Amino acid sequence: MQPSSLDELIEALRCLPGVGPKSAQRMAYHLLQRDQRGAARLAGALGHALDVLQHCERCNTFSETEVCQRCANPRRDPALLCIVEMPADLAMIEQTQSYNGLYYVLMGRLSPLDGIGPRELKLDKLIARAADGVVQEVILATNFTNEGEATAHTVASLLAPRGLRISRLSRGVPVGGELEHTDTGTIAQALVERRTV
Amino acid sequence: MAFQPLLMDWSGGGEVKTLVRAEWQGGQPLLGGRALLCGYYLNELLVRLAAREDPHPALFAAYGEAIAALGRNEALVVVLRRFELLLLQELGYGLDLGHEADSGEPVQERADYVFIIERGPVPLGEIDPASIDGLTIVSGRTLLDLAARDFSRAETLAQAKQLLRMLINHYLGGQPLQSRRVLKELQEL
Repeated sequence: MQPSSLDELIEALRCLPGVGPKSAQRMAYHLLQRDQRGAARLAGALGHALDVLQHCERCNTFSETEVCQRCANPRRDPALLCIVEMPADLAMIEQTQSYNGLYYVLMGRLSPLDGIGPRELKLDKLIARAADGVVQEVILATNFTNEGEATAHTVASLLAPRGLRISRLSRGVPVGGELEHTDTGTIAQALVERRTV
Repeated sequence: MAFQPLLMDWSGGGEVKTLVRAEWQGGQPLLGGRALLCGYYLNELLVRLAAREDPHPALFAAYGEAIAALGRNEALVVVLRRFELLLLQELGYGLDLGHEADSGEPVQERADYVFIIERGPVPLGEIDPASIDGLTIVSGRTLLDLAARDFSRAETLAQAKQLLRMLINHYLGGQPLQSRRVLKELQEL
């Protein structure tokens, strides 16, 4: 027997992260009963995004053109390449308005126990991008989680032999932070990585 | 909080527990670089080989020591081999490295042995030469070094790597380790 279109919709919604059978059912009823216009908009937007979005040839983030606007901007410094895990990280660094180089978005992180390795992250594409002869410094801005650290180390060891300067975002007590209210893990690491002034 | 010692209390009898308390115990520097990838390997070994809810205080202590040694950037291969040996011993695979299989005689330092899974070191002379291909040959000296946890010789380290890899692969039931695959792929890039 073919599943009904309702079952099909519930099953499809379960592909979202953190959505189990119950929430999927609730979402489906909501879309069909309470917000049909929203449902049509969602369907249209999803289809359109799938049609037009691709990965930027240079920075790997989502883009509607082969090379995204940021990478095509001649006012950005092409000698600096900042490597981040996700587009949200890129947006955060952009918000600081203190970085004028280019980016490369990994679209994930190395996670050995989940089987996400260099092949799944397409690190060969990153190597080709960073070794274009124009990039001089690579800034590793992956997260300060264990997976982010493993990713940073891996990328560094792949790019260092190619004559690039490699730097890593520094970490420590947050700006405006007081030691008394900072978590012990951060203070412990700040002590290990203390710098001379 | 991977690789960090935590003191935890939990309740509940089923598979899903309720966390009552978790306190960071500190003192363990974050792992970085290759040591971090080695840490993932240790974690995967434990997750794959140890049974859930089966306490192993000696193994827990050895894991803590191994992670601390990785944090101090000690010779990584020695840390890994030491942990692998203890893991197999603690899990009850009963590696008797100092005695020959069957006879139980002490291993001779100058002799060569073939290590046969679930039997132990068999003198090379007792093996049919036609079936020698693909077997793991170790020297008596290596076996005695390993029994004494002495990793100072390069040959001991090299043969220990082969021997332990063969044993671990066997106990994993042929399922490859993801962390090992990732390390291998990195070397190929």
